[in-house]
Amino acid sequence: MSSAPRARSRIGTLIRHEALLLARAPGPVVGYTVMPVLLMTVLRPMLERVAALDLTTGMGGTAQAAAGMAVMFSLFAVKVVGAGFLQERTWHTWDRLGASPARTSELLISKAMPMLIVLLVQQAIIIGFAMAVFGLRPAAAWWPLALVAIAWTGCILILGTAAATLVQSPAQLSLAGDIAAVLTSILGGALVPAELLPGWLRAVGPLSPGYWAMRSYQAALVDPGASSLMGALAGLGCFIALGVVLSASLARRQTDG
Amino acid sequence: MRTHTIYTYTMLVAEGLEKHYGAVRALSGFSLSVRPSEVVGLVGENGAGKTTFARAVAGLVSLDGGTLRVAGVDVAAEPRAARAALGWAPQELALYPTITARENLLVFGGLSGLGRRESIQRAAELSVALELTDVLDRPVGKLSGGQQRRVQAATAMMHRPAVLLLDEPTVGADPITRQAVLSAVRSMADEGCAVVYTTHYLPELEVLGASIAVVKGGRVIARGSRADLLAPVPGRAVLRYAGAPPKMAAHMSTARAVQIDGSDVTITATNPAAYVATLLASHADDVNRLRSIELSPPTLDDLYRQLLQATGRADVVCP
Repeated sequence: MSSAPRARSRIGTLIRHEALLLARAPGPVVGYTVMPVLLMTVLRPMLERVAALDLTTGMGGTAQAAAGMAVMFSLFAVKVVGAGFLQERTWHTWDRLGASPARTSELLISKAMPMLIVLLVQQAIIIGFAMAVFGLRPAAAWWPLALVAIAWTGCILILGTAAATLVQSPAQLSLAGDIAAVLTSILGGALVPAELLPGWLRAVGPLSPGYWAMRSYQAALVDPGASSLMGALAGLGCFIALGVVLSASLARRQTDG
Repeated sequence: MRTHTIYTYTMLVAEGLEKHYGAVRALSGFSLSVRPSEVVGLVGENGAGKTTFARAVAGLVSLDGGTLRVAGVDVAAEPRAARAALGWAPQELALYPTITARENLLVFGGLSGLGRRESIQRAAELSVALELTDVLDRPVGKLSGGQQRRVQAATAMMHRPAVLLLDEPTVGADPITRQAVLSAVRSMADEGCAVVYTTHYLPELEVLGASIAVVKGGRVIARGSRADLLAPVPGRAVLRYAGAPPKMAAHMSTARAVQIDGSDVTITATNPAAYVATLLASHADDVNRLRSIELSPPTLDDLYRQLLQATGRADVVCP
């Protein structure tokens, strides 16, 4: 077998393996999909009333609830991504993968692929529930919504990878992940519409990837302007780039150590 | 029909390996070569450099100097090709506990280039060899420590590597596990695999018929067959008499290692049996008072202790 088919075979093996690991511990993923649907159902009437008061200039109540819960609970899923890498370290299996003929890129792609699908399905279920039950519709076409989901999922994956290189134990990951997810959600306007936040929190909002995720969903769901979508996606792109640089430098430092 | 690859060159060559962690020299001129079908027991105290060497062969440690070739492939120049020829089981357990033993074997087989069908077949073979058939479909996390050790050894053997590197594969293992692992390792060697077997249990090396490399201070200080290395190591004989032992002949008293303690005569010499024969021949009248003779030839433990007590290059033994 030549090099390329061998690489494909290895990637296939690793993707199946990663999917199997996720399937054997489905609790967090199921929880982060069911909880936002429940919360959205409860929060939507309140958010609709807030929207009716014209206190916000952004999304309607249903769009705010759906996008907010999709963003917030995919931020919680950063922990699942991070745990995938952290477990490899605590089980000592990362070294064994590293001692195999697989390239590092093959390992990373294989680890990311099943989680990418899981995160896309999670967002599809949350947004899809809002569409099926509450009549939510995209502003213009479907493709911007798909583009936003893919970009945001990429951002989550890289944030999870960076988180795994920063923490030393599952307990640290759980604590840091929960606090960061809530904080990022608040700053991004996922929990409460950004316009209702105190001025000083609104000012630092753009420092949160959640902010750009909410802007992206807003553009895809209620604002048909291509420029606003591209601007928001560019913001997410900056966080993806930052996450790549951070993960690579931390991973290099750990390897050298 | 199963075919065995016949290798005609040295499978593992390490020459002058250097690895420093700050001021600590983990490897300091480490050299070792292993031929096909040869089992080399790598022994040495903790921190001697055995695991650093194993990790360097696995491509997980970047070396500061020296050359390392696995199956003729330079590890630094073509790391992935070198890793493809290697089966490595690290010292610590490194398995996926939430999936079954079979699933672990399949993932490591697939990673090493085996097709799905080949992996399934090889997993079945190894499960028989390592007595794992009854637990193959149980999650690894639910297996006993010994069973986990056997699964780990099997994962390293899945693709019939040219070089098998087992870092303390039987640490804390029960006798069944020990026997199964040793038997599987011997089979691999018989098929042409070059084996480096790191251990603190020296009798295992005798079972494996391994040659020995003693590691100290990041380098191999002694290397050779068991017989060659043991030749200069003193053994022991204890003769127990009823009443006082015979007075030693003059030539016997020159042996520094003849000690008399009450009714016991203890002889420590490279060939204690020869001393015993001389003693009995020269004191034939006392033979009827002799109650027992215990002959203890030198063991690998004796060699190990002797070498580790020694320091400096003057002590290097390379028969």
